[in-house]
Amino acid sequence: MKAIRRENLGPALVSLVLLCAGCMAFWLLVGPTLSESAGQGNDIQRMVLYYSTLPRLTTALLAGAALALSGALFQQVLRNPLADPTTLGVSAGANLALVVVSLFIPDLLGAGRDIVALLGSAAAAAIVVGFGARRGFSPYSLVLSGLVLSLWCGGLSAILTYLNQRYLASLFIWGAGSLAQQSWVIPLSLIWKMGTVAIVCALVIRPLSLLDLGESSSAALGVRLARLRIVVVACAVALAAFVTSAVGVIGFIGLVAPTLARLSGARRPVQLIFWSPLIGAGLLFLADSVLQLAAGGFGDFLPTGAVTAIFGSPLLLALLPRLKIRHRIQQAAARRRPPAWNTKVPVTIAAASVLVLVIVALFVGRGPGGSWTVLSGEFLDDILAIRAPKVFAALASGAMLAVAGSILQRLTGNEMASPEVLGISAGATFGVAVALFAIAPGFSGQFAFAVGGAISVLTVILLSSRRSTFAPERVLLAGIALSAMVDAIVGVLSSTGDPRAVLLMRWMSGSTYLVDGPIATAEAAIAAALIAVALAARRWLDILPLGPAPSAAVGIPLARSRLALFGLAGLMTAAATLTVGPLSFVGLMGPHLAREAGLTRALPQMIGAALIGAGLMVAADFVGRTIVAPYQIPAGLVSALIGAPCLMFLLSRRR
Amino acid sequence: MKISRRSFLHHAAAAAVSMPKPLRAEVARQRVVGLDYGLSSTLLSLGLPPVGISDLADWDKWVVEPAMPQSVVDIGSSHEVDFEVLIQLKPDIILTTPYLDELLPRLQPIAKILRLEIFTPDTGPILPAAIAATRKLAAELGHEAEAEPFLARSDAFFERCRRRLAGRTVPPVVLVSFMDARHARVYSAPGLFHNALERIGVRNAWTRQSNYWGFDTIGIEELSVITDPNARLIAFDPVPPDVLPKLVDSPLWQALPFSRPGHLSVVPPALMFGMVNEAVRFAGLVTDVLEQDA
Repeated sequence: MKAIRRENLGPALVSLVLLCAGCMAFWLLVGPTLSESAGQGNDIQRMVLYYSTLPRLTTALLAGAALALSGALFQQVLRNPLADPTTLGVSAGANLALVVVSLFIPDLLGAGRDIVALLGSAAAAAIVVGFGARRGFSPYSLVLSGLVLSLWCGGLSAILTYLNQRYLASLFIWGAGSLAQQSWVIPLSLIWKMGTVAIVCALVIRPLSLLDLGESSSAALGVRLARLRIVVVACAVALAAFVTSAVGVIGFIGLVAPTLARLSGARRPVQLIFWSPLIGAGLLFLADSVLQLAAGGFGDFLPTGAVTAIFGSPLLLALLPRLKIRHRIQQAAARRRPPAWNTKVPVTIAAASVLVLVIVALFVGRGPGGSWTVLSGEFLDDILAIRAPKVFAALASGAMLAVAGSILQRLTGNEMASPEVLGISAGATFGVAVALFAIAPGFSGQFAFAVGGAISVLTVILLSSRRSTFAPERVLLAGIALSAMVDAIVGVLSSTGDPRAVLLMRWMSGSTYLVDGPIATAEAAIAAALIAVALAARRWLDILPLGPAPSAAVGIPLARSRLALFGLAGLMTAAATLTVGPLSFVGLMGPHLAREAGLTRALPQMIGAALIGAGLMVAADFVGRTIVAPYQIPAGLVSALIGAPCLMFLLSRRR
Repeated sequence: MKISRRSFLHHAAAAAVSMPKPLRAEVARQRVVGLDYGLSSTLLSLGLPPVGISDLADWDKWVVEPAMPQSVVDIGSSHEVDFEVLIQLKPDIILTTPYLDELLPRLQPIAKILRLEIFTPDTGPILPAAIAATRKLAAELGHEAEAEPFLARSDAFFERCRRRLAGRTVPPVVLVSFMDARHARVYSAPGLFHNALERIGVRNAWTRQSNYWGFDTIGIEELSVITDPNARLIAFDPVPPDVLPKLVDSPLWQALPFSRPGHLSVVPPALMFGMVNEAVRFAGLVTDVLEQDA
């Protein structure tokens, strides 16, 4: 009993401090209005207080609690400390639904933005759970299919947003999560929705606690695993969907609140599920109050969701060293079927396809007015000089990202690992953002800043994870936190409507648009060199995934080999990001597809991944340049649209 | 009176077609590409229709008037000009703005570049800057002869709007574009719309300075800083379909002056990132609305 009380002390203290700080900020905010308008009767100030300020802060409390609870449930049921409400594609699905509806059937918006978003989240969750059901709801397959689906939805809505920037300005705001309110409708509807879900949560909390014993033990104690998972996932999805449809994406709270609860001492699931919402509510309440105070001073429009991520991610970074780590052996290994063919067959097929793709991409295009043409005649040289650098830069960066992804997935034993998750591409993007907004340099200046950003992120990650001998989870969490921060910054910029945000958005969506001859040549040379190094490290990559003990036993210097491999992956990511933006999709797809094709050992997997990644990128670049010509869709977005359904198909086929 | 704006902008488009013969021969030699809506529409008024412009697909959605001739080729988004199409158009001159500077190294080998600065942090009021840019553009293209009559026409149009409203009690107006049911962009100094309002003698009820493009993104509750009970809200299309029904449900909105009948008007789209033609269209739209019920 004493132990339990002591475990509750930490989280209680954290929630209390957050709520008190929030109240102080809130008092500073409304205090002047209250004393000022006390004497006068029907004042507009008072109307603002009653129907805007108070509903806004209530919404902050409710949304914070709901998101944190949702995150805690996900982390418990998926047994994955990186899971949060966005992992199952809930917000991406909602976002896609909103984008599609506002573009193609705007009248439906009249029926209610919430309903549209809710349907989108539900559809996304249903697809993910459907895939999960085939695999007995293993946490791994849920997270993986959720992640792939959210990448796909995110890519598609980004393309639509990208092609209709002016019209969809409102979606930037929604995407960045603004809490501004003009009535009590949203907070009141959130209250009863959350209440319903909370009751269901209370009913399943006991069986949920038993999950900590492991799958077979809890099943032996009478827990019906599949049914329990469905109920808990449904609760968590519903919570996140309610908040997302009401106020937009405020994703970071769902990751940081349960983490805070755990770090401050909450051990048992009951404690986690009880304290996380309180901490989440306090966090968002504090953030929003401070934000409103600050906004009063600056007079700028700042979406709360984006700003919480800006402040929340450094907090998570700072807390990382205290996080408990456990090493994970690659779980999928046991389930993998033996390769049905010789490794040479898939590699040859991939190489031939890449060759055909390159030729098509070079010689087929669209003329003025939009007609399809095979290149010849007067403009042959001029147009080849434009196309070739794009094609070869796409080829080189696709290959590099895929190899980097293979290394990261092998090294961390986490299937979610990809170059973007490492945060390197986020760092490069941040460098470009700084360059664009601070000094507005030319193209080469942006390059210099991107390299600076990528290298500093790499350094931070390597330094901060040094003490933990580069434990996989810590590196991944650090990368996610950084990516969230960059996303948030770009979100803030986009929703203020600053035209420079368009430049940044293009950069982030992975366009080969500005690549020219010298850049493409440099890129190809770097790719050749780095991939050769990676192939040379195949022995380390075969043995390290087996765990620290076997690796040390065969004489691999653990810390040094990890440092070298992370550094290599980082360099490849930075080089690829510099020319074609943070294209996380290829880095995720390439290695997966290679493994699905039966290439399991390090060397064939990396070769296969490099070919698949290169082919994907070339195809994506070609499609993006021609399909809606003269308008262009960034290759990174297209590659997600091609790659993700492909991966989903392979996942569903596999037993 | 509506006809006057129409006829003005019609004139702009027709100028290119109905030009004296010797001038047209010269035009045929100057192939101009416009990478900015404002510059492209100014080209029409200078009697030099472009061979290609960026973002042509959305012209009718955001600029509307003057209409682009059928012969103009779409060369893609202004930030991602399709160089393959651009080269095949064989342009002589390409018009750009500082926002497209990263494209300069790629554009320079293709044609002569004319870079005009209108929306920059040091510009100040946009309308005078747009007029100056029109003169500069005409001088560079050798079309000074068209510039002065065009500017005189537009000034006369503003003056006519001012006189139409002069005899009436014109309320101060707030200019917004609704983003969704909770957010809006509000237009103020030093923007193009604000300058045009000043020119036609209408007071902008939103007094806070905005960013240098002339707009601010706000939560709708911030509109409560406007205390004048007569203030009019003018919203530009497209208004998302769920905005007005949702606002009616908000007690806060009900307390604002704009919720009363006749204090909110929705007008067709007008381009804020424009030049003289866009200011003229804006002035005409606002004058029509204010005249109707003043």
